Amino acid sequence: MRISLTVNGVKRVVDVKPNERLLDVLRYRLGIKSVRAGCLVGDCGICTVIVDGKLVKSCLVLAAEANGSNIVTVEGLSTNMRPSPVQRAFVESFGYQCGYCTPAFVLTAHWITENMVNASDEEIARVLNSVVCRCTGYKQIVDSVKLALKWRREGGER
Amino acid sequence: MSLILRTTLPDFDYLLPSSLDELLALKAKYGERAAVIAGGTVLLNLIRLGFRYDYVIDIKGVRELSAIEYREGKGLVIGAAVTLRDLENNEVVRDKYRVLWDAVRQIGDFHLRNRATIGGNICNPTLQADTIAPLAVLGASIEISSMRGSRRVAIWELVKEGGGLLLDPDEILTRIYIPEPPKGSRGAYFKVWWIAGIAALAANIDNPRERIVRIAYSFAPSPKLVEGVERIFRQEKPLKVLIGDAINYIKTIVTPPSDARASREYREHLVEFGTAYLLRKLLGVEV
Ligand SMILES: Cc1cc2nc3c(=O)[nH]c(=O)nc-3n(C[C@H](O)[C@H](O)[C@H](O)COP(=O)(O)OP(=O)(O)OC[C@H]3O[C@@H](n4cnc5c(N)ncnc54)[C@H](O)[C@@H]3O)c2cc1C
Repeated sequence: MRISLTVNGVKRVVDVKPNERLLDVLRYRLGIKSVRAGCLVGDCGICTVIVDGKLVKSCLVLAAEANGSNIVTVEGLSTNMRPSPVQRAFVESFGYQCGYCTPAFVLTAHWITENMVNASDEEIARVLNSVVCRCTGYKQIVDSVKLALKWRREGGER
Repeated sequence: MSLILRTTLPDFDYLLPSSLDELLALKAKYGERAAVIAGGTVLLNLIRLGFRYDYVIDIKGVRELSAIEYREGKGLVIGAAVTLRDLENNEVVRDKYRVLWDAVRQIGDFHLRNRATIGGNICNPTLQADTIAPLAVLGASIEISSMRGSRRVAIWELVKEGGGLLLDPDEILTRIYIPEPPKGSRGAYFKVWWIAGIAALAANIDNPRERIVRIAYSFAPSPKLVEGVERIFRQEKPLKVLIGDAINYIKTIVTPPSDARASREYREHLVEFGTAYLLRKLLGVEV
């Protein structure tokens, strides 16, 4: 079946099978390599993307269900290869190690800065809770989010 | 059922009806060959585990199933496809139906609740369904529809041993009705992941004759609303004593199972601990 998606601002029309996950269509049919498979059962959150303004785990969404929707992945955050403030905050605070979960955390952080500028530590934790990092602790990741929020509140670019 | 895990899902067709009539007609036509998909957070995992369907019918195209409607004095009507996030963000749910709100916020995680629906939670044929005990203490009923018409049943009557609902193959859960809660009622949910869920609601705490205390347990495989707790709390004794009496009574009725996730003894401990925790919290009793 043919579906149309707006991915990072660009309209894409793609033929998919009814049983294909959004994860696989983004990664393999559209070549968006920041979208990665983790557990495939909704536990780990590695495959997180933003669909119509909401953070979702793309392994548990059929591509067919996403027909007509607006999707943001990490590729959509940077402009002309320039990392966004949220991405820079992750670099600054070492909010990554192996990098596998990083797109999911960066997207989650991006959503937080867009929707919860004054988030408390507890609120930040409640949202970050959806994604698992197996390298290390979450301290630097939380620090990255807080730094991004701080920049955001103080008026954007560092 | 084979337990081989796979990444690619087996073949099925995807259908997206745009009206309730069309949805019910499709379910009547395909019956057990078709599964409804709401949030998909259970269904896709079941298919991956070996459940097979020829058709997956998406109910999200039927607008009316995504509506939440509150009428003062009448109560709340929640469409089956309303997401847990929508419930969490709804002020009426937060302020008046606290026990449900508290349970919803403890389901899965933030991202999951953007997809997961209340209807899917109730229909979930696996063991976890954290909304059922709260809906029971709130006296909810559910509307079940098919081409043959619709029926409304108290949620408790529908829950069968092992979780899941007693739906016929052509039936779909369409709405959840929750009456106006008792005035000034408080509610809370106690949860131990995959092992226990306890929902409690209390009102008119200072007046023994009108005091309302309801409590429901959700242990796989059999959720239970304990009747008779209210009688205990209508007595003129100190609340602390009544809580003790209630726990002793509840222990004779709630007999949780042993399984791979927890032993019966541990669950019995949780019944005692969780009940005491919730009742003290709702009735304002210090330890
Ligand atoms: C990581 C993870 C964590 C989870 N944590 C929890 C938890 O803490 N507590 C909990 O209770 N659950 C939990 N779940 C299970 C699940 O996410 C929830 O129960 C959720 O509410 C199911 O809703 P859904 O819309 O995704 O259901 P779906 O997957 O769409 O449907 C579930 C089942 O019900 C049927 N169905 C759905 N809607 C209807 C309807 N209207 N009429 C008839 N049949 C219908 C489907 O055919 C399917 O068999 C978790 C799941 C995951 C993946």
